[in-house]
Amino acid sequence: MNRREAVTQVAWILGGVFSAPTLQAMSRWEQLASTETGSSKPGSFLTETQHAIMGRVAELIIPRTNASGVDSPGVDSPGALDVGVPDFMEVMLRDCYGKPAQDLFLTGVGELERKGFLTLSPDQQTAMLTQIEADAQKNSNPSFWLISKELTLLGYFTSEMGIKASFDYQPIPGRFEAIKIKPGQKDFMYGNQA
Amino acid sequence: MNLNLKAEKDQTYDAIVVGSGMTGGWAAKELAEKGLRVLVLERGYELKHVEDYKTAFKDPWEFEHRGKISIVAAEEHYATMYFSAKEGSQYLYTNDKENPYVQKRPFNWIRAYHTGGKSLLWGKHTYRWNQEDFLANAKEGLGVDWPIRYDELVPWYKYVEKFVGISGQPEGLAVLPDSTFLPPMAMTAPEVHLKNSVAQKLNRPITIGRVAHLTKPQPWHSAVGRATCQFRNRCSRGCPFGAYFSSLAATLPAARQTNRVTLVHNAIVKEIILDDKAQKAKGVRVIDQNTMEVREFYAKVIFLNAGTIGSTSILMNSKSARFPNGLGNDSDQLGRNLMDHHLAIGARGDIDGFDDDYFFGARPGSLYIPRFRNWGNDKRGYLRGFGYQGGATRADWSRGATETGFGSDFKKKMTQPGPWKINLSGFGEVLPNPNNRFTLSEDQKDKWGLPQVVFDADFGENERAMRKDIMNDGAEMLEAAGFKNVVAYDNPVAHMGLGIHEMGTARMGKDPKTSILNKFNQVHTCKNVFVTDGSAMASASNVNPSLTYMALTARAANHAVEQLKARNL
Ligand SMILES: Cc1cc2nc3c(=O)[nH]c(=O)nc-3n(C[C@H](O)[C@H](O)[C@H](O)COP(=O)(O)OP(=O)(O)OC[C@H]3O[C@@H](n4cnc5c(N)ncnc54)[C@H](O)[C@@H]3O)c2cc1C
Ligand code: SF4
Repeated sequence: MNRREAVTQVAWILGGVFSAPTLQAMSRWEQLASTETGSSKPGSFLTETQHAIMGRVAELIIPRTNASGVDSPGVDSPGALDVGVPDFMEVMLRDCYGKPAQDLFLTGVGELERKGFLTLSPDQQTAMLTQIEADAQKNSNPSFWLISKELTLLGYFTSEMGIKASFDYQPIPGRFEAIKIKPGQKDFMYGNQA
Repeated sequence: MNLNLKAEKDQTYDAIVVGSGMTGGWAAKELAEKGLRVLVLERGYELKHVEDYKTAFKDPWEFEHRGKISIVAAEEHYATMYFSAKEGSQYLYTNDKENPYVQKRPFNWIRAYHTGGKSLLWGKHTYRWNQEDFLANAKEGLGVDWPIRYDELVPWYKYVEKFVGISGQPEGLAVLPDSTFLPPMAMTAPEVHLKNSVAQKLNRPITIGRVAHLTKPQPWHSAVGRATCQFRNRCSRGCPFGAYFSSLAATLPAARQTNRVTLVHNAIVKEIILDDKAQKAKGVRVIDQNTMEVREFYAKVIFLNAGTIGSTSILMNSKSARFPNGLGNDSDQLGRNLMDHHLAIGARGDIDGFDDDYFFGARPGSLYIPRFRNWGNDKRGYLRGFGYQGGATRADWSRGATETGFGSDFKKKMTQPGPWKINLSGFGEVLPNPNNRFTLSEDQKDKWGLPQVVFDADFGENERAMRKDIMNDGAEMLEAAGFKNVVAYDNPVAHMGLGIHEMGTARMGKDPKTSILNKFNQVHTCKNVFVTDGSAMASASNVNPSLTYMALTARAANHAVEQLKARNL
């Protein structure tokens, strides 16, 4: 059995816990022997413009919001940019994603760059991402969109500010019991995913 | 000459225990508490309870990759990907790249070379075997008959359960005998619903998983420094509370309290040294994993607790004029009948409603559905049975990656618990088969010059037939309880090793012609060598095996001390 089959198996066992891009990333194991990873610093994976584009994309996915849940500079809850999602994306793409996923991702950002994403109005940007998402949904292959979204959510919802603003963080719950919750109540976070 | 004699004396103990994991810890504790001076030899590095659990208190944001494994780490841990694909726990798994093995047929060999062994990794599910488990081979004419029966093991089950501390619910079932329990963990609302529906519609009992966690520590637990479980479910990073049973938290501290135990690390036991005249073992030869220095240690009795593959490899490596094919291997059974549990199969689904039901805390355990096939009046076209572990939980923010939408509403939605999901994962019994085996390579060596292990085993017809039921029955139970989107899944290439319940390869039996060990885990033809880990198993049951290994170890240690006193060893 080769490594790619091993990865597919793992996916089976986990029953879809890994997203397609993560899996694809892992399928790069076979190439690993000859290449090395981890030598570049965060910031060197994307150009400055691309970094800015991804910052904007991430912020559109998880915007900074106020108490009423509207995009606003009057911060109540930080957004993807506040918690440094673009830098995090670079680290993850460099260390945890394989060449095919990296290429897919770079093609996607390149496309946005070509279309002058940063010069568009917020509404136009949102419309463009909505279209990209709709296209991505058409097939089950990994896509630029899925990678971006997965990394934004991961970067945000596991960051200190993101966790504290979003969840009832309970590092040491001390008990386990069935309870009732009210509509709209925040989820708990136990920090046990790592 | 004088010097050598002195050295030999300095290196002589009453007993040597090879391995400090789940069973080695028990051997060390029992032998030392009964008055023996014990040397424990551990091939891996020293890991200290509490202070070396470096990731245990880390918050999610303190992990560079937020828990995801990097490509480099995945390469080093490819056999253990399924379990170790976490940033916080990979340090407890052995690096596969540095410790290679050969797969004639696919086998994932998951190891933990450090103090405590795999007792630091285990899922803590602890179930007694039942009467039938010890009778099945004889009834069906498979493998060899067990030389012991359930009743003989009961006092030893009781004895180890009390010390281990097992949370669970008594049910009075013959198929899943009750242990001595600490309070059970709670079930979530959809789990209670599943339990009731399945009891009503299919007449199958479901119970809460029986797990080795202190839900209410007793004085003997506190005495070794163990405390109540905090329900953080960060167990895979090591438990600073000593709340789950491991040899690091429980048996080794108890062993040390006797002041009769010496633990030596980085000591790879290569072989057993045979005293040819006496037909007894006189000691072991060890390679220091860092310096490559070779040393010898001597003792009256030797306990092999290096894990199933580890212990049997040591026997295979111990060749002499008397035992050219490995110590005790007159029967050619050494390395054969390699068993595991087969998993990576089951059913999952979603359930509507229960919107205001939730739970507080992260439960380090699940439901348990005991075997119901080939039990009582049920007769199937295959032999033996399977059980399920699983549970219901609510989807968290990570569901967002595959849900449509983004922006502020989406963000808010992700901060609230998602729909309930359930998973039932089957654990099936694998039959003993002499052609499922491992051998030692003739030409491929590891970096210490020891022959690499060659795996050559796979599931057979019986396992494949059973898998169909595991899928269908799982789906049937979920449907009976009204779950939706029920998917029965099977991994078409699931293979041996992934179950991490390696068993067999030096089986117990009544007859030295067909087995390696006698009813007290002694090598038939070399009585002062005991093998009390999974190597000894003559069949595999469908429940997790470690509790039974522990009971067998305590029983064997008791026998060894009695025999020593009677001067029979
Ligand atoms: C992720 C995971 C989940 C599991 N879940 C469960 C569960 O829920 N229930 C259950 O019952 N079981 C479970 N198991 C299995 C359980 O961990 C093993 O059955 C148990 O640890 C075996 O005990 P052992 O003493 O034979 O081996 P180990 O605990 O692995 O200890 C062997 C020790 O021997 C040392 N050693 C090996 N070779 C040598 C040598 N040549 N010289 C010196 N030392 C040596 C090793 O370094 C190690 O410390 C699980 C295992 C894993 C990995
Ligand atoms: S859940 Fe319990 S056993 Fe697991 S790490 Fe936390 S306190 Fe320890």
